[in-house]
Amino acid sequence: MKTASITRRLFLLSTGAVATGLIVGCSSAATKSKGYSSIAGAFEPNSFIQITPDNQVIFYLPSSEMGQGILDGLSTLIAEELRVDPTAIDVRHASLHSDYKNPELRFQGTGGSNATRTQFLPLRQAAADTAAAIRNAAAKQLNQPAHKLLLADGHVTAEGRRYAFGEFVALAALMPMPENSPLRGPAQFDQIGRERPRLDALAKSTGTAVFGIDAEVENLYRAVVVRSPVLGAPLKRFDATAALKQPGVVDVVEIRTGVAIVAQSYWQARKAASALELDWEKTELASWSSDSIYQKFTQTLNDSSQKGLKCCDEGEGDKLLNQAQHVVSADYYAPYLAHATMEPLNCTVAVDGDNCAVYLGTQYVEASAGAVVYYGDFDADKVKVHPAFLGGGFGRRGLGDDVAEAVVIAKKTGRNIQLVWSREDDMSNDFYRPAALVRMQAGVSEQGLIETWAVRRVGPNVLDHILDQWVDVLAPDYLNKGFVDWLSKLGRPLFKRFIADPSSADGIFSDYDMPNKAVRHVAQDPGLRTGLWRSVGHSSNAFFKESFIDELAQRAGIDELQFRLVNMKNNPRLTEATELVAAKAGWGKALPEGHFHGLAAHSSFGSAVAQIAEVSVEGTKIVVHKVTAAIHCGLVVNPGIVRDAVEGGIIFGLTAALHGEITLVDGVIQQSNFHSYPMLRMADAPKVEVHIVESQEHPEGVGEPGLPPLAPAVANAVFKASGQRLRDLPLRLS
Amino acid sequence: MINFQLNNTSVQVDIDPDTPLLWVVRDHFKLKGSKFGCGVGLCGACTMQVNGEAVRTCTLPIAAVQGAAIISIEGLGTPDNLHPLQQAWVEHSVPQCGYCQSGQLMSASALLQKNPNPTDDDIDVAMNGNICRCGTYSKIKSAIKSGAEVMRTQESIVETFDPVSGKSIVKEASS
Repeated sequence: MKTASITRRLFLLSTGAVATGLIVGCSSAATKSKGYSSIAGAFEPNSFIQITPDNQVIFYLPSSEMGQGILDGLSTLIAEELRVDPTAIDVRHASLHSDYKNPELRFQGTGGSNATRTQFLPLRQAAADTAAAIRNAAAKQLNQPAHKLLLADGHVTAEGRRYAFGEFVALAALMPMPENSPLRGPAQFDQIGRERPRLDALAKSTGTAVFGIDAEVENLYRAVVVRSPVLGAPLKRFDATAALKQPGVVDVVEIRTGVAIVAQSYWQARKAASALELDWEKTELASWSSDSIYQKFTQTLNDSSQKGLKCCDEGEGDKLLNQAQHVVSADYYAPYLAHATMEPLNCTVAVDGDNCAVYLGTQYVEASAGAVVYYGDFDADKVKVHPAFLGGGFGRRGLGDDVAEAVVIAKKTGRNIQLVWSREDDMSNDFYRPAALVRMQAGVSEQGLIETWAVRRVGPNVLDHILDQWVDVLAPDYLNKGFVDWLSKLGRPLFKRFIADPSSADGIFSDYDMPNKAVRHVAQDPGLRTGLWRSVGHSSNAFFKESFIDELAQRAGIDELQFRLVNMKNNPRLTEATELVAAKAGWGKALPEGHFHGLAAHSSFGSAVAQIAEVSVEGTKIVVHKVTAAIHCGLVVNPGIVRDAVEGGIIFGLTAALHGEITLVDGVIQQSNFHSYPMLRMADAPKVEVHIVESQEHPEGVGEPGLPPLAPAVANAVFKASGQRLRDLPLRLS
Repeated sequence: MINFQLNNTSVQVDIDPDTPLLWVVRDHFKLKGSKFGCGVGLCGACTMQVNGEAVRTCTLPIAAVQGAAIISIEGLGTPDNLHPLQQAWVEHSVPQCGYCQSGQLMSASALLQKNPNPTDDDIDVAMNGNICRCGTYSKIKSAIKSGAEVMRTQESIVETFDPVSGKSIVKEASS
């Protein structure tokens, strides 16, 4: 089960490579070059660490910091093995280099909550080898046996005297580089597992953290783009006469997605945008509205001639369904969702002859760099990406669409430009979490054991849209562009006819001991582009699965906690998390008048999370008072960050569960800003308590796993409070 | 020409009068700590203090700040000289992505100027205009309370300087 889920995950994360067979090997040529610029006199053992003679320890962060705390986590790993104070490390965002590839994604990027898991050993090894090199150099320079030297706090202590690391860097650089130096054991850890304020808190509390939108270069003009009200519709014609007369406007140019206005200031560009006259082609998406999409999904769900693609077939499949003591069937729905990162998309481009510098926050540095090459026709070695902090990522940043616009505007106008999307641009030009309609069916024995689990799921996939973006920008640049573009479109037929997109079914048939399973997915896509939304398929599938588990328990007449525990005998991590959360929240104990508990448990990205929501209902209003959570994520690097990530997932999940819905009328997205796509605010935020299961196992993901159990935990509590089983998201009482 | 005080310095700017203060501060004065989030005053990422009030500057025309005193996050404190709230923000490890936090801090500091000892409800009301997509609300609330406590303690202390030695003399204020 574990192996299967890892395989699925690998497939999901590396589909760009696996499905096309092309990306593998791209810029993988062995090279001795480092990922950073050399500093005179510094010890530069690898692409992650530089130590200068004046004791500056620089760490090049291979993952993007978007709030998940990876800057802190990975710096802690370096600090632990290098024997330096983490607060003394100068952490810099790594630019593009093959040494910074994500081991699972196989290109440089941050996603799938995998950074700590995949970097836990390699980064520590890089730091341990560096420390060993310092030790060897110090031994030689001080004429002391290496084992008598103590390394701590950026210093070597020998016979009672302290020497800063910098004193040995010159010699260390000349000596053979140690390899496979022993790593510190858990009993020795003094940084890993320690709780302290996150390292980026100071910069982010003083306005000094630099985000993509904060980039400044010389002679910078500001650009905005006017795009089709129906996402993706091509431009038919435009008239820029009036717009060009607006104050500050210097250029109006057509680009692939619409028309760009370039002005001296953002405000001038934004104001002039309303003076543009535009006509757009009509596309298929314009024939769809949310109502007709729902009807089409329903029709397909009920049309048994559409078999769908196999996601899982185990035991007898669904053959024995009707022989069970209890047979339960229910349909669930989840809507499209937008990411709504606090920092709207933006990209700053500076062109100097053949060179192109790009400044932005991106989860996928390599895709962003690739977009400059593909859309801007720059040579790969002339492109420099300057990554910044991300004002939220959640799967949105780094798909290349921001860079594709900005680089073409810069190229066509011959100016350095900063492209800033408005909130409205951001909300109506997203890569949306796909909608899905599912029929959950199960057979449960008299003893309350799940015998058969059958799911039929209808909705769009994610990977075909992502491949359309990424194959273009990640394919080697010696390939013909027309061929690459043709290739990028293959995802649609591939995931419609041949392979079930693993992200669509992720988590919908996992966690419980179900001997017979049949899971089918029918790809049905109105054409609204979809993407990776925090926890991807789990974001909706956990709601379907965990709401339905409660329905099964209730039909069998068994307590929802007990029902889960007896059906997850082969899932020790989730069992531990579930037992812990039940104990901490006081499952089954008396609550204040009118308050009810709802439970949900779900594994994703290697971690197991269980949550109990305490909910009351006032008329048609759902009030979530408290959420108690327990996470089993293996060994913890910084417990504070784990708790923050889980709490963040809960708040993010609650916004979606109570408010989140992107709707279409004639292909036009109806939500535009926070009045129509509201966010949870402080007054509505429940008290959150996060407990961590003690573990020495290898660390697993925390950025995403806190989100999936929230919606079903709330829905399950709402059922108890109101008697209404809400099977559609967002949760609305009638 | 519009004249105003920006972080206790007199400044003037000649710019389209309907340009929002946010863009003037960010792109003209190059103070990048205040953020653009929604453009319609719904998220609070752009919050600055205007004559002591927390104001959404993405919708505040520059013409309206003639003669006003503006404090942006850069004027609240610096990494070397933190405002007590910023100190609390760091100690409570508040930020996640951090993009909204300048605005959160400006709303919080405006609250404490008027109400040095806010209740949970006071905080909820004052912070209602600030969205945090990462979900740091509970930590923001805790940090506001502990920052407020530090400020109440500090305000009861008067710092003076010995005119001869220049050394600081700290006395408890007579209340």
